[in-house]
Amino acid sequence: MQRHRRNCGLPLLVAIAMLIMTVSSPPAGATSMPDWVKGLAALPTPEHDDRTDAVTLTAETELAVDTSGRITRLERRAYRILRPEGTSRGTFQAVVDAETRLRRFHAWYLPPNGKEFELDDKDAVDVALNIPNGQLISDMRVRVLRAQGVAPGSIVAYESQQDERSYVLTEKWQFEDTIPVRSASFRLRLPAGWGYQATWLHHAEVPAVSEAPGQTRWLVENLPAIPIERQMPPVRGIAGGLVLALVPPRGAQRGFRSWSDFGNWYLKLLADRRQPSDALKGQVTMLTAGARTPLAKIQALASFVQSDIRYVGVELGIGGWQPHKAADVFAQRFGDCKDKATLLATMLAEIGVPSYLVIVNTQRGAVDEATPPHLAFNHAILAIALPGDARDPAPAAMYTHPALGSLLIFDPTDDLTPFGQLSGPLQANYAVLVAPDGGELLRLPQLAPSANSLARSAHVALDDQGSLSGSFEEQWRGDRANAQRYALRAAKVDTDQIKPVEALLAGSLTNFDVLEASVGNLHALDRPLQWRYKIAVTAYAKLAGDLLLVRPRLIGSDASTLLETKTPRRLAIEFDAPRHDTDEFEIGLPPGFEVDELPPPVHLATPFGSYDSETKLVGRALHYSRSLSMETVSLPAEQAPALRDFFRAIARDERTTAVLRRAVRAGL
Amino acid sequence: MIAVALAAVLGAAPAAQAESWLPIDPAELAMTAETKAPKAPAIFLYRQVDRDDNVPLERQYIRIKVLTDEGRRFANVDIDYDRTREWIHDIEARTIRPDGSIVEFKGTVYDKTLVEAHGANLSAKSFQLADVEVGSIIEYRWSDRLTDGSVYDSRWLLSGDLFTKSARFSLIPSRLFPLRYSWPLGLPEGTKGPIDQHGTIRLEAHDVPAFVREDHMPPEDLLKFRVDFIYVPRDEADKDTDKFWKKVGQRDYRRVMDFIDEPRVIQAALAEITAPADAAEVKLHKIYARVAQFHDPAEDAAGPAEAEARAKHRAKNVAEVWQRGYGSQRDLDWLFLALVRAAGLHADPVLVPPRDRYFFDERFMNPGPLATEVVAVTLNDTTLYLDPGADLIPFGSLPWRKTAVHALRLDKDGGDWIKTPAPKAADTRASVTADLAMTATGALEGKVTLTCTGYDARRLRTHERREDAAHRRQFLEQQLQALIAARSTAELEDSPDWTDAEAPFVASFRVSIPEWASVTGKRALLPQGLFAGRIQRLFEHATRVHPIYFDYPFELAADTHIALPAGWRLDSVPPEAQRNRDALQFRTSVSRLDDGIRIERSLHSDVVLLDVKFFDTLRGFYDAVRSADAETLVLSVSSAVERH
Repeated sequence: MQRHRRNCGLPLLVAIAMLIMTVSSPPAGATSMPDWVKGLAALPTPEHDDRTDAVTLTAETELAVDTSGRITRLERRAYRILRPEGTSRGTFQAVVDAETRLRRFHAWYLPPNGKEFELDDKDAVDVALNIPNGQLISDMRVRVLRAQGVAPGSIVAYESQQDERSYVLTEKWQFEDTIPVRSASFRLRLPAGWGYQATWLHHAEVPAVSEAPGQTRWLVENLPAIPIERQMPPVRGIAGGLVLALVPPRGAQRGFRSWSDFGNWYLKLLADRRQPSDALKGQVTMLTAGARTPLAKIQALASFVQSDIRYVGVELGIGGWQPHKAADVFAQRFGDCKDKATLLATMLAEIGVPSYLVIVNTQRGAVDEATPPHLAFNHAILAIALPGDARDPAPAAMYTHPALGSLLIFDPTDDLTPFGQLSGPLQANYAVLVAPDGGELLRLPQLAPSANSLARSAHVALDDQGSLSGSFEEQWRGDRANAQRYALRAAKVDTDQIKPVEALLAGSLTNFDVLEASVGNLHALDRPLQWRYKIAVTAYAKLAGDLLLVRPRLIGSDASTLLETKTPRRLAIEFDAPRHDTDEFEIGLPPGFEVDELPPPVHLATPFGSYDSETKLVGRALHYSRSLSMETVSLPAEQAPALRDFFRAIARDERTTAVLRRAVRAGL
Repeated sequence: MIAVALAAVLGAAPAAQAESWLPIDPAELAMTAETKAPKAPAIFLYRQVDRDDNVPLERQYIRIKVLTDEGRRFANVDIDYDRTREWIHDIEARTIRPDGSIVEFKGTVYDKTLVEAHGANLSAKSFQLADVEVGSIIEYRWSDRLTDGSVYDSRWLLSGDLFTKSARFSLIPSRLFPLRYSWPLGLPEGTKGPIDQHGTIRLEAHDVPAFVREDHMPPEDLLKFRVDFIYVPRDEADKDTDKFWKKVGQRDYRRVMDFIDEPRVIQAALAEITAPADAAEVKLHKIYARVAQFHDPAEDAAGPAEAEARAKHRAKNVAEVWQRGYGSQRDLDWLFLALVRAAGLHADPVLVPPRDRYFFDERFMNPGPLATEVVAVTLNDTTLYLDPGADLIPFGSLPWRKTAVHALRLDKDGGDWIKTPAPKAADTRASVTADLAMTATGALEGKVTLTCTGYDARRLRTHERREDAAHRRQFLEQQLQALIAARSTAELEDSPDWTDAEAPFVASFRVSIPEWASVTGKRALLPQGLFAGRIQRLFEHATRVHPIYFDYPFELAADTHIALPAGWRLDSVPPEAQRNRDALQFRTSVSRLDDGIRIERSLHSDVVLLDVKFFDTLRGFYDAVRSADAETLVLSVSSAVERH
């Protein structure tokens, strides 16, 4: 995106920061604390450890539906700040847009000593949603209340009342948090004739208490904090919650009671979106004219949408869920994920290939097989029904559907993952297939480790001073190739293109020069990204008397400090994708030196992965080979000690050294 | 911004955009790359900024060539503006396809609110050009009408994120105020300075490189080619530099004197702080220590109500600062000035341009950068520069951003230019002493003590000043682990003094480094650079565009004792390594002890700002240090132990 900042006055970002930092002053002493806030100081602090930043004293949600079906949500939250890092809980936010009026927004601050302080709507700051790359037009804004001077020992509280948009009558109440919760409750007020279906998520069912006709309340208490750990599942995928499908009277549009309901709702959104224009039809004809096979035709259309339709989201109101018309997206040559998926589906239909939108959350684990149907997604991709003659050889990202046949899962928004493959976050992820007769939850395919791999080889020679020179070749596939391609494409100047190689080498070598470097297949997504470079390293091997010490693992590292923590792992460990790495290095020995000691081979085999490493003398060269294969995308916490030991063994192996000795000349 | 008193002088409403677009050069339409910007995703073919400060109105014209898929993102355009004082209008845009056909922009221009509060509204006009592909030219233009009755400072920013092939700028200055303009970094090669053509200032530039960001470079804003335009009040305008600063100095001196002129309160305060019999030096230290105890207004307020009240009501004079016990850094420095003068010492206020934001040059006659202050105190014929208003600065020192800069020492005649003291490497030292034992598996375990002085100590203290003990513990353990060039665990055993700026910062840890030594069948191999983590990846890229900039000079030192396990003996040690390049020095040596080995390592860097032509030398120095760190000690195990 090209952003033009003003040529005068305060720089914009500074101004934004200052506005958020500042609140206008309330009338002195004019706090109007409601009773629920007055009683907070007397509430006990729930059990916690010394690293707990804050605790939730109370979290009340009330959802009221009036007879016309309009929904109003009341939120009350109060936290006790325990540590300086917990002061961020004193910043309150509400997302608003044209259809969700915020009727009331108040915050109260009760310091351990000093006067209470109150903020309300007029003190709020509205901030645009933080959109990466500025590629989204949205009417959603975040309204923020924040006060300075919030210190540990304070109680902070807020209350908001907001009209909800009701595209669907499904509500989620998430009551667990990354801090302990003393008490959380949800009250549902329904008019006569309405009902609901409740499904509990990651928590045992709690009995509903009927407080009055049409008024039901659920209460949970003393919930421990969800720990924050590296590579953990998404919080929404493990936090306890309740999903309510509201059921209006007399067959009116109800909340989702099944994924089929979700699919049918989405089909209605798609109803008039897939009409081709003449220009679109002409483009399909042109793109497929030269393609000889059905698969080649599909690939030509997929490639067009993937690369020629740039990502721009214009998401106003229902536009957050409903795609734009395919003909418009085609004409503009831009759209968001659901626009691109819809356009491709429309183009495929022109060549007689059925395809179905797949709605997914890009955080694997946010939705699983037990998740009740609700709006838990943020991305749209496509399932393409491959004709029988287009399956040989079958692409990797296939899903076999009992009724719809072989479906190729393809993400037209991802312009780095080649046709037939699937990026890591989508693999083994649960998604809704929007099929002609409704929706169903399915598990997307998990690809083999070889689809996400690095194969590195080197031919180098050592001299008798330990300096090393030679050439390397790397072949990258899958997400790891994507990351390289992304960095290389984003380079603004040519010197930036060599920086990934320098950064890689700097992690393993000192005193090196890159003599030559070239990258291959940068734009050929269906081939591995290729790096070739020649380097010279001064004093790579170290002389120690008549010994020369050589680390055969020249570059790269497969070890990880992920699990080197003081506290035991509590949550599952999530990986981007399965992976497979190999190194094959040939290190020519300098004249006059012979091998004295070689590192022992290493062989590790576990249920989650394997690692093999070996250094051999072959002729006058050391041959170092190793391979790492990680088979899984998620590992239970109980396996953490085994994984930690696995990485420690790799770290030890990576530091091992071959010892060469200067040969004694005979006959002198 | 300067408010204009007479709105009647305003011109007529702005004229509409020119009707026609500039002609398309077929060669530019056909081009697939720019040889002066290889691999660039897109380039500015042309930029034009025309500004008339009498209306006031600014028009911009942008033409971009898309060279790669990635470059298509420049077809998403955001124009930021402040809705309370700007009106963006006459937005026009179009796409020229590679075949020369033209797609006029007929889409929606969205008005996005970025931040809205308290009478301010920062927004963006946002639009997306359609049908953009590699090879397309996209162009757009708009007018920005500024609030009537105001005159704004402005700048022409020549350096952008993209290479600029050609650019034209013009400015018609306001008739009401004198304008001063300067181009502090110089101009791109081949670009002539701005010229005044019949009251319009103009500049043309060609082939301006894209701006590149690098590690350890001066503040980004200071490195971009630009022309700054500053309006000055008529009574301060002067073409003679000395006369200009004399007026500014006199004005600011009067302001300081008005602020500190509270003799009754200050004398009473002085009596609280010092004793009449105290020597002058003792009095100075006592006053410094007392003022250093004062706080920033936001600190230790009893809740948001008090914080809000404090932020709203600025002190009118030093009496108010003294009575409140808190104040801004400037308030506190002027309180210190008043007290020192009341104690009979000679002291002057000094206005300082902080070098984290400005590289100040008084010839440009811009007082804006003189945004911070210190107090110059004369004691025994020596001038001390002191800043008790700054957090955690020991007596005799200054925050690094106020060191080694030209500053304006004020007096009733306007004052003179002085240079604040430059920091020395020996003043900022991070040293490690380690007493470790090696296990038979090659792990190192034992006690490590980290001692920091100077700016390193201040950095640690200020980073954690608002944090609690648990956070400080975790932070320090991570700091130590970052110094160790291998996986390690660290447990803080003795905590440092977090509050006394005069004391060294000392912390000790119990440390384990499981994989330091590589144990082969009969040997153990130990790289000697155990505490080399801080420089492990410094300057890893071979190319360099900008000067090299460190905040301050520093020294690193490590003294490591490693006891060897029974049965192991030291076979060979690397020779002593030494590098001495004046401002950069390094030495490491290994010696044998009865029970093991001792490794001593020291690094001295007296570099703050270094021209890019010395980059290879600097990188070579650090390569040599890293190479020495990788040198290896060889231990062998006795046959008895081996058999065991």
